[in-house]
Amino acid sequence: MTGATLLFLIIGLGLIAWFFGRLKAAGMQSGGKHSRSALHSLPNYHGWYVALWAILPAAIFLAVWSFASPALITDAALTSPAAAQLPQDAFARAAILSEARAIASGNQVNAFNPLSQSMVEPYRDAITYYQMIGTVAALLLVFACGVYAWLQIKPDLRARTKIERVTMLVLLLASLIAIVTTVGIFLSLVFESVRFFSMVSPIDFLFGTEWNPKAVAGPRGETGFGAIPLFWGTVFIGAIIAMIVAIPLGLMSAIYLTQYAPAKFRSWMKPILEVLAGVPTVVYGYFAALTVAPALRDFAVSIGISNASSESALAAGVVMGIMIIPFVSSMADDSIAAVPSAMRDGSLAMGATQSETIKKVLIPAALPGVVGGVLLAVSRAIGETMIVVMAAGLAANMTANPFSSVTTVTTQIVQLLTGDQEFDSPKTLAAFALGLVLFIVTLLLNLIALRVVKKYREAYE
Amino acid sequence: MNSLTETKRRPTDWQGAEMQKRIAGRYAAERRFKAMGMAAIALSAGFLGFLLVVMVGNGFLGFTQTELPVEIDFPAVTSGASPSQFQGPNAEANLQVMGLREIVNSSIEIQYGPEGTDLFSSGAWTAVSAKILADPDIVEQKTAVNLPVASALDVAYKDEGNPEAEAKVSELSGQFSTGFNWNFLSNSDATDPMQVGIWGAFKGSLITMIVTLMLAFPVGVLAALYLEEYAPKNRLTDLIEVSINNLAAVPSIIFGLLGLAVFLNFFGMPRSGALVGGLTLALMTMPVIVISGRNAVKSVPPSIREAALGIGASPLQVVFHHVLPLALPGILTGTIIGMARALGETAPLLMIGMRAFIATPPSGITDPATVLPVQIFLWSDEVDRGFVEKTSAAIIVLLLFLLIMNALAIYLRNRFETRW
Repeated sequence: MTGATLLFLIIGLGLIAWFFGRLKAAGMQSGGKHSRSALHSLPNYHGWYVALWAILPAAIFLAVWSFASPALITDAALTSPAAAQLPQDAFARAAILSEARAIASGNQVNAFNPLSQSMVEPYRDAITYYQMIGTVAALLLVFACGVYAWLQIKPDLRARTKIERVTMLVLLLASLIAIVTTVGIFLSLVFESVRFFSMVSPIDFLFGTEWNPKAVAGPRGETGFGAIPLFWGTVFIGAIIAMIVAIPLGLMSAIYLTQYAPAKFRSWMKPILEVLAGVPTVVYGYFAALTVAPALRDFAVSIGISNASSESALAAGVVMGIMIIPFVSSMADDSIAAVPSAMRDGSLAMGATQSETIKKVLIPAALPGVVGGVLLAVSRAIGETMIVVMAAGLAANMTANPFSSVTTVTTQIVQLLTGDQEFDSPKTLAAFALGLVLFIVTLLLNLIALRVVKKYREAYE
Repeated sequence: MNSLTETKRRPTDWQGAEMQKRIAGRYAAERRFKAMGMAAIALSAGFLGFLLVVMVGNGFLGFTQTELPVEIDFPAVTSGASPSQFQGPNAEANLQVMGLREIVNSSIEIQYGPEGTDLFSSGAWTAVSAKILADPDIVEQKTAVNLPVASALDVAYKDEGNPEAEAKVSELSGQFSTGFNWNFLSNSDATDPMQVGIWGAFKGSLITMIVTLMLAFPVGVLAALYLEEYAPKNRLTDLIEVSINNLAAVPSIIFGLLGLAVFLNFFGMPRSGALVGGLTLALMTMPVIVISGRNAVKSVPPSIREAALGIGASPLQVVFHHVLPLALPGILTGTIIGMARALGETAPLLMIGMRAFIATPPSGITDPATVLPVQIFLWSDEVDRGFVEKTSAAIIVLLLFLLIMNALAIYLRNRFETRW
């Protein structure tokens, strides 16, 4: 019996347990021996009480069993006579065993190694044996715990309180998943990065200027992992070109929509601009590569820049900037709206025109909020992947020429991790080191931005 | 005293030429500023319009295919095939036995010369087989069928192709017809652009989204309820809040790295499967659901809670019987928006290997699968020009689904959300 069917069976039994628990409690409520003493909890809660008792211990057992049983299965398979022919070398042994396991569990059809073919039978026997033990034990647990809980049902059983305690625990666990994920991200990045830095020195990585992971040959003393060109490309596209596009457009859009536009125009235009943020990035990437990049190259050639690349930093940056517009504009919108209207009215009453009020009063007052929004936008832009993968190219150039090709951190992560993978090569591990840098930088940018925004909000409240 | 200030300051001469000029200048600056604002909006909206026009203009052609007529004389080439053979469960096997592919190819050669088969898509015969299965009676007659042409001709006919294909197109001009490309909706990935379809990727997206929803929705809602209703003010709660806000801002590719390191390499889950893709996207979507869920729960007025507590409900009953149902429309709106984001996500799925060439639609959560955005990315990398319109057509389908999801979210918000 496979894991999924067993799980469904247990859940089905749980439902039956719920029904019986409820039935018994309901019987106590309406007439019967105990009619004079009222139930503490509603029959439903008694039903859940029995169902949880039936399901939870069995589910926990299965979770533990699924971790423990592979080792037991391997041990059992190794005691078989066929195992005597296995090579002593631990690495070759593991390869054969994993192949035999894959065939025995049906994930693979043919063996490359005849030895693993001979191990299939013992494996299959061991798997069937331990699966049967697990199934029987789980079902026994369901019945034993279910019956125990059913016998416990009495009018004064505090079923609701117990159920609520379990529910609270579930709520807390659901919230803890966020912490687990954050820690998981951090640990997995750090763990792989440490392995990378044991092969390549962090100084070379962070301050080296030559990025060419393909040229790396030896296991030690590698060069070609200098990430400075990548950092520069990321900053050039995400923080310079994209922001040159996004800041004026986003800010002016926000100003026009909040200060000038009639309410009706605003209510239509705002969602339309928000659509820009909802378009998938792969669509932007395709658009940048197919339409924007060739147009920009033709333009560059026509104004006499002969070495213009068809994968230019400018194309990726401009399209990314457009993607970021709604982001900047909504942050600017919020912070302009937070400026007390007394300041604006005062300026208008002094005879300043609307644009003078905006330029000299509103924007300076809203500046911290706008800056915070821009920082958030930058952190988003440098973590953006698909646009740069499709439009920015792979050449690690250190150039300020927007028409030439540059590469970014995210592009290289994708490049290093797709295609043929050997998991322990510095090439693959370098992707995790780049990811760690990206994670830390975006985290810092976000923290700074939130702090700036928060501090400024407090000043006006 | 009075006369002293008067000599120092005279009232401004508002009507004077200098002042009028200054005012005119200020008003001109005002108009310029306003025009700049309008230009910014027009530029942003114009770009969106341009993007949509380019995609729809390119992609529209991807739903059509160019066809050439082929006459197949079934009684002459098959030895007494009867319509009854092609009904019932053995129909497809009998088509194989009959050698339909050779029959179609020889019919093409009779009509278009010995190199005629080069004119047609390699899968052209499947169109005939579909026709026979739909109407078995045609095997007793001489029938003309429109078959899809080869990709190079298709490109040349619709647009500008290579010179060789253009020459062929002008030679055969007048015989071409255009049909709806049903293959595009029912096939999966293929090497021939005339035979590709989005069904496989669409199914992969669907399965992945179901996994994501099943994991992210319960966890997100429960976490939102806990944080908003029960969480005590302590360091653990602060830590949870900080991590949720951080997760919402972490670049999506980092989640891909997490999926690769933890789900694939540590837990050894099957590569390229919808299970790992769904898990990764669920971790990404969960913070969005938590944040929108908290806002929805917060907007339920305290009087509801107090009334329920007042008539003796336990704190848990208050939340699950009263607060949650009232907050549900808001939570659903946030969930749909989060799911729309997950549907368009590409980068994390590239990390966990959902970028393989997959020619059969997945049938379970562990089968190798690909999703719509990744399929778009893969096709955009193809050299063959026939893929350009297919990529845009797939983008149209993706945008259509996002549009439907967002419209649903807006509808839900307007229809069910209560203003207290």
